[in-house]
Amino acid sequence: MDAFTYTDIFETKGIEYLVIIAFLLILVPTWIMLNRPVKVKTQLIESMNGLTAALLRLPRGLFYNRNHTWTYLEKSGAAKVGVDDLLLHITGGVSVDFLRAEGEQVNKGDLIATVSQGDRQLKIASPITGKIQKLNTAVHEKEGLINSDPYGKGWICKMKPENWKTEINDCKMDDEALEWSQEELTRCKDFMAEAVQLINKDSARVVLQEGGALADFPLADMPGEVWNKFQKEFLD
Amino acid sequence: MSNTTAIEQPRNGKSTWKFLADEFKPKGKPFTWFNIISVPVIMAGIVIIILRFIHGLGYVSNIDQEVPWGLWKGFNVVTGVAFAGGAYVLTFIVYILNVQKFKSIVRVTVLNGFLAYVFYAGALVLDLGRPLKIINPIIGNSFGANSVLFLIAWHFLLYMIAQLIEFSPAIAEWLGAKRARKILSGMTIGAVIMGITLSTLHQSGLGALFLMASEKIHPLWYNEFIPILFLVSSVFAGLSMVIFEGSISKRVFADKISEKNKTGHKGIIHTFSQICAFAMFVYFFMHIIVFVHGKNWTYLNSRMGLWYLTEMIGFVLVPMVMFFVSYRKVNITLAKVAAIVTMLGIVINRLNVSIIAYRWDAEVPYYPTWMEVVVTFTIIFIEVWVFRWVVNRMPVYNESPAWAKENEH
Amino acid sequence: MGVDRRNFLKALGLTGAAIGTGKPLGATPAVNEDETEFHGILFDSTWCAGCQGCEIACAEAHGLEGPALEDVPEVGLKRKANENRRTVVNAHETSAGEFFVKSQCMQCAQPACVSACLTKAMYKQKDGSVIWREEKCMGCRYCMISCPFDAPKFEYHSTNPKIQKCDMCYDRVKEGLLPACVENCPAEAVKFGSRRELIAEARQRIADFPGMYHDVIYGEHEAGGTGWLYLSAVPFEELGFNTKVQKKPYPELTKGFLYSVPSVFVLAPAVLLGIHSATKNKSNQDNENE
Repeated sequence: MDAFTYTDIFETKGIEYLVIIAFLLILVPTWIMLNRPVKVKTQLIESMNGLTAALLRLPRGLFYNRNHTWTYLEKSGAAKVGVDDLLLHITGGVSVDFLRAEGEQVNKGDLIATVSQGDRQLKIASPITGKIQKLNTAVHEKEGLINSDPYGKGWICKMKPENWKTEINDCKMDDEALEWSQEELTRCKDFMAEAVQLINKDSARVVLQEGGALADFPLADMPGEVWNKFQKEFLD
Repeated sequence: MSNTTAIEQPRNGKSTWKFLADEFKPKGKPFTWFNIISVPVIMAGIVIIILRFIHGLGYVSNIDQEVPWGLWKGFNVVTGVAFAGGAYVLTFIVYILNVQKFKSIVRVTVLNGFLAYVFYAGALVLDLGRPLKIINPIIGNSFGANSVLFLIAWHFLLYMIAQLIEFSPAIAEWLGAKRARKILSGMTIGAVIMGITLSTLHQSGLGALFLMASEKIHPLWYNEFIPILFLVSSVFAGLSMVIFEGSISKRVFADKISEKNKTGHKGIIHTFSQICAFAMFVYFFMHIIVFVHGKNWTYLNSRMGLWYLTEMIGFVLVPMVMFFVSYRKVNITLAKVAAIVTMLGIVINRLNVSIIAYRWDAEVPYYPTWMEVVVTFTIIFIEVWVFRWVVNRMPVYNESPAWAKENEH
Repeated sequence: MGVDRRNFLKALGLTGAAIGTGKPLGATPAVNEDETEFHGILFDSTWCAGCQGCEIACAEAHGLEGPALEDVPEVGLKRKANENRRTVVNAHETSAGEFFVKSQCMQCAQPACVSACLTKAMYKQKDGSVIWREEKCMGCRYCMISCPFDAPKFEYHSTNPKIQKCDMCYDRVKEGLLPACVENCPAEAVKFGSRRELIAEARQRIADFPGMYHDVIYGEHEAGGTGWLYLSAVPFEELGFNTKVQKKPYPELTKGFLYSVPSVFVLAPAVLLGIHSATKNKSNQDNENE
């Protein structure tokens, strides 16, 4: 640098500061994008895909109520009541407890049982009005029976229905039930995505492991609040 | 309920204006020791400031053509900002390193930092020849980006904004503005990160200011590492100030602090003494490196040399050892004493670089006039008054209102 | 999702605008392209008679009081420039006799004051004159701190203080006139011209009269080169010059710090964000420790 003409060693300072400002502005959205819970979404989608297979396990001839219970009129005139497979695939392994005794009168919509996992539970409401004839003690005693055979040996109770013909109109069968199940599945995916957002915000309760094993039963990893929300959205 | 007073819905349906008007009414006793001392000083200071504007800077201060920066810049700006360094250190520890133990004092430290910068920026403006022109480097009339002072001016401005954002949830809680509080709380981490970045740069920047005065500052204090030394010393300067201020507040505002926080305070001081001891250890060794690099032993045999040794040994090494001992022996009183000695050491160091060792050889050595001293204290006292006003009304030491606590993250 | 895309495009646009409106980058050499060379003034202390004609002319040209009658250069008396006089002449008794030296702002090639000024009030023009622009100055006096020659003088007793220092009479030079001191020196001790030519002339004088001059041009390398150049019969310390002034430009002393600022601004937030993410989830464990 000679001393005969003008030299400015800080010539680029102004534009450098502009670049810094641009950097800081871009940093914020970049950071937010990088921190979106990506893995969780793929886990959910995969587990949801797995559930479509279960949809096919919708036996014909059963009446499916929108609160995820099914009912079937036996030749004896008693109506068998149980929980559908879709719900059990969402919760995972649960134990069953009865809220009523044999001989009790229940109305449609009254709670008859709970399915629980640890300290979280979902309450099951009866799809029909009637008198409880028999409770399936086997489903209460044998762990996993309801999950493995929800339409067979995993029934919940047998009732003598009072308004079978009218109340059945609220239920779906066969193709209609299949269609409805698929809609419920989509609703469920959205619900899970929302629930995951809620959880990731609260750093103390990150429950979904990133990079871990597939969550087959999405509700199994969710805290009690999500179960309560699920109850309100899907079972009431 | 415990002896903490939670701030309930303060507005009780009052309109904003009536609420603010009520809040401005004084609370507390009028004749405390602090009030008796500070009010006359503040009034005298205001008179002097008016005189400064009528007759010019030379009328009230002893600065001259050889020593253009005096006590106001040297103490209020260069030293005061070092003490406000507690804010960035503490927010780093609490929000970045996530050590929740210190969460109880974050708010008051941020408040202190914010007020410090506001008032010391005010002192800077007061010391300008043409204060109104300060708008020039801000609005872009002339961006002197080649200047360290430009960087510092902008950083002060941005940092005050960042501090305000960090503190604003408390203001929102005071005003009962729920949604505002939620939005502002979300911005906290961004403000903290910007605050720490800005702080590192302007704490060292204050040192960089003196880099061009290479022959004018005594060689024992002038070296290329002044910025780094200022940065490291701001760490323990800030923490010492937090210890000092916290000890006073614990007594003065005792009715507002919860029992849990009172007992927690000892643990906080204890950990601070650990951090300070370590930072001072690093700082001391940096000084040794600088000393060796500049072959400064030739200067020791002089009046300034003796003063240098006093600063280094009496006010850096000794308090460092005191902090060390107070940490090992869990002696909180010793830590408080060490904090005071450290703070004096910082004052001495900063004043040395800016006005004592600066043109130490001037024919007319610079001594501040009594008027400069009075105004210096005026600024500090006004800041304490504002601090007291805020603490008495906003959830700084008090617990936050219940609705805010639900949303705590 | 929509928000991401919007933000991204916004940021992209902003960067583009920033780069577009900033000064064009590219292969810009730091040298002035129109090759205007600096002016300089050569002061030969062997010719100066101490008549103070320059002081009077300078004061007149700039609306200041001239020196009082009894205010004359005297050996042992250190006269300094101040807010009332931009230049002073001092007398020095040396090993080769009495000499007179005119002092004022040195008009450095890379002025510390210009680098220090945050409002660009101190400004180096293309022709080399370092001027003070009143409308921008806020009176912070940082230029005074930075100047190795203590050249800028401040009007401490004014409510609208000015900085007073030699500005190489740039307003006169623009009109084709000579600076006031040059025009009015009866001994022609001060000479105005291009710095390059003046250095050549100074060397010529030293070569032509070897016994007469000390073989150094003060201002050739001091502070990286100054506009005012000095010739002397004796070593410059004897004439009261500060020979400890560094030979590199003063702004280079802050270069290291200012150059690192952008890096800190980029690295620090990134590192802090990283640490924050890493420690975000362990908050509950440290809650009640100690």
